[in-house]
Amino acid sequence: MERGWLYDGTSAVRHEVEVAGAGESLIVRYADGDSSEVPRAKLFHVDGRGDFEVFGHVGVDGWRLGVPKAASATLGPILPPRRRYGRWIDRIGLWKAVAGAVAVSAALIFVATRFPAWVAPFVPKSWEAGFGAPIMAGLEGRFCNTAQGRAALSKLTAALTPRAGELDVRVVDIGIVNAAALPGDHILIFEELLTRADGPEELAGVLAHEIAHIENRHVTAAMVRQLTFGLFVSLVGGGTGANLETFLQSRYSRGAESEADEDAIRALQRARISPLGAAAFFAKVGREEARMGALGRGLSYISTHPAPLERERRFRASAEAGTAYKPPLDPEEWRALQRICRDDPARR
Amino acid sequence: MDAKTTQPLGEESARGEAFAFTGTWQEFLPIALTNLLLTIVTLGIYRFWAKARERQYLWSRTRMIDDHLEWTGTGKEMFLGFLMVFLALIPVICLIFLASYLFTGNTLAKILGGLLMLAVYGGLFYMTGVASLRALRYRLSRSYWHGIRGGSDDGGWRYGLEYMWRTLAMFFSLFLATPWAQTRLWNARFNKMSFGQHRFHAEADAQGLMKRWLIIYAIIIGAFVVFFAAAASMNGVRAPSGGGAALALLAIGMFIVLYIGVPLALLAYYAAYYRRVAETTGIAGLRFRFHARTMDWLLLLLGHFGLIIITLGVGALFIGYRNYSFAVRHLDLEGDVDIARLTQSSTRAPTDAEGLADAFDIGAI
Repeated sequence: MERGWLYDGTSAVRHEVEVAGAGESLIVRYADGDSSEVPRAKLFHVDGRGDFEVFGHVGVDGWRLGVPKAASATLGPILPPRRRYGRWIDRIGLWKAVAGAVAVSAALIFVATRFPAWVAPFVPKSWEAGFGAPIMAGLEGRFCNTAQGRAALSKLTAALTPRAGELDVRVVDIGIVNAAALPGDHILIFEELLTRADGPEELAGVLAHEIAHIENRHVTAAMVRQLTFGLFVSLVGGGTGANLETFLQSRYSRGAESEADEDAIRALQRARISPLGAAAFFAKVGREEARMGALGRGLSYISTHPAPLERERRFRASAEAGTAYKPPLDPEEWRALQRICRDDPARR
Repeated sequence: MDAKTTQPLGEESARGEAFAFTGTWQEFLPIALTNLLLTIVTLGIYRFWAKARERQYLWSRTRMIDDHLEWTGTGKEMFLGFLMVFLALIPVICLIFLASYLFTGNTLAKILGGLLMLAVYGGLFYMTGVASLRALRYRLSRSYWHGIRGGSDDGGWRYGLEYMWRTLAMFFSLFLATPWAQTRLWNARFNKMSFGQHRFHAEADAQGLMKRWLIIYAIIIGAFVVFFAAAASMNGVRAPSGGGAALALLAIGMFIVLYIGVPLALLAYYAAYYRRVAETTGIAGLRFRFHARTMDWLLLLLGHFGLIIITLGVGALFIGYRNYSFAVRHLDLEGDVDIARLTQSSTRAPTDAEGLADAFDIGAI
């Protein structure tokens, strides 16, 4: 017989009670002689409060029984165990639960990072076009176009891929050193990149890289990532829909970047375009990064890609001494392409 | 039954008499650390269970009059509440996508897109109000004292409308109506709540709040007036050298006044606000008191800041603990409570937990 207290859940009155065990049940005896029997299965542990352990009664709102902590010797087998971290974790133990959670989380992260690349090949091109269209519509009026500039761009694209006809490559009048591949086989080259490039070889390296992103369906994978995990994240964080800005920020995986660089190097080799131009471009970007720090404005190209100096090394190493490289565009074509925005009659 | 049944508290009840916080940081630290560990290894999903565990501890270390409080909310129900809202938000996100797609179309489509966007954001605005009432309702329904809990049978649907129009009035009055709107919304929330069979009654007004609120305006306007007056007078003198430097110093001074003065004035306002709403809120024969003054709040915030810096960020685990114990230490009750007549709440125990409030990132008070 142990002295305890009881709130019966109907009124706030605290009853002094005596508690005893009887087989698989607890007998609670009130001061006036009344008693009630509570089966062990109905009891749950609530908390330790002062010298008492507090128990609840499944199905009786607010029923609380305080049993002296010292009573565990006599009532121990009937009283339910302490609750701590949550039912599952208490059952298997904290450290085992942590180990299990680490394993499951690692597997989930692995699947989450690979999943977009797995599904990308199965996404119909027409769906993809639907996601690119609003972004392209938002840029309406900023596209640059001259007959000679366009011809030069087509020539350069055709030199890099046999499927140039399926691609929509355009120059956009935006002052950032960047290029982007968008869903729907669109490639955007921002004007600042053209004016900063010292020759068509420099542009060819970047263009080949973006073409590789499209042909390897990295763009599709990025889109899938944004529509699944990105949406999940923005829902939890309360963000809004996609636009060009977030699309540029959504990075491809490092693996995708390396793959695009390797394919770009191969495409340059096939077209007999010197990779030294691309190497020079990355060296330039690297120098600017060093000068301006990571906050350098207008150089978003560097923040979404691997270290430029590492890329410079890779492109430079691919140059073969015996190969007769030829410029992909003649000086006149290159000049027309560089001036595609300034000479555009619709833009003056 | 016994002498304890009626607990006279008297008009002169000393500070911290009705409420006391008996927790210690040594007890809380293992809870905070294991919560952090489990939250990390479960990619954040444990945070609901972590919250429940934290509250269980804090409530159990809160003595009200003669016994401790108890938190009975579970991580599972908070997780399910979150999932419910998460699923409900998916169509909303789809509508936002649809609206932004319509914006790329012709004029009619643009108008439709605009209307749709307005409807979606209006709906979210409304739900923010609904959520704040439901969060309070949930917390009361899981808070027990003497085996008795609180709650409300109000779903917050009308409160959502009231929240909308009072908040709009706040905006359109250039925020001059803020004390009025905030106190009236406090009343609207608490008048829907009960504990046991008793209803809360709240009749807060903006008395004593308006002056502190206007100080914020005075600081902003004053800083600009002084700046422009000084700039104009300098222009008149036409100081050949050092004029630019003096002007720059003046501008820096103005920003210091704005960036330190305005937050301090805001703190002074909220100190008065919580004192006012507490003393105008009561239940049965009891009336609340909240004793925290502006200086107490300032010390609390500076304490947060110092703790985080000294512990290199680890102290952030204790922000919730410190806020809670601060509230309990400054809270008090006046009047009598008739424990023998306090009976169990008949309100339904809600199952949506704080999902909605969680989604909109709002608290209950």
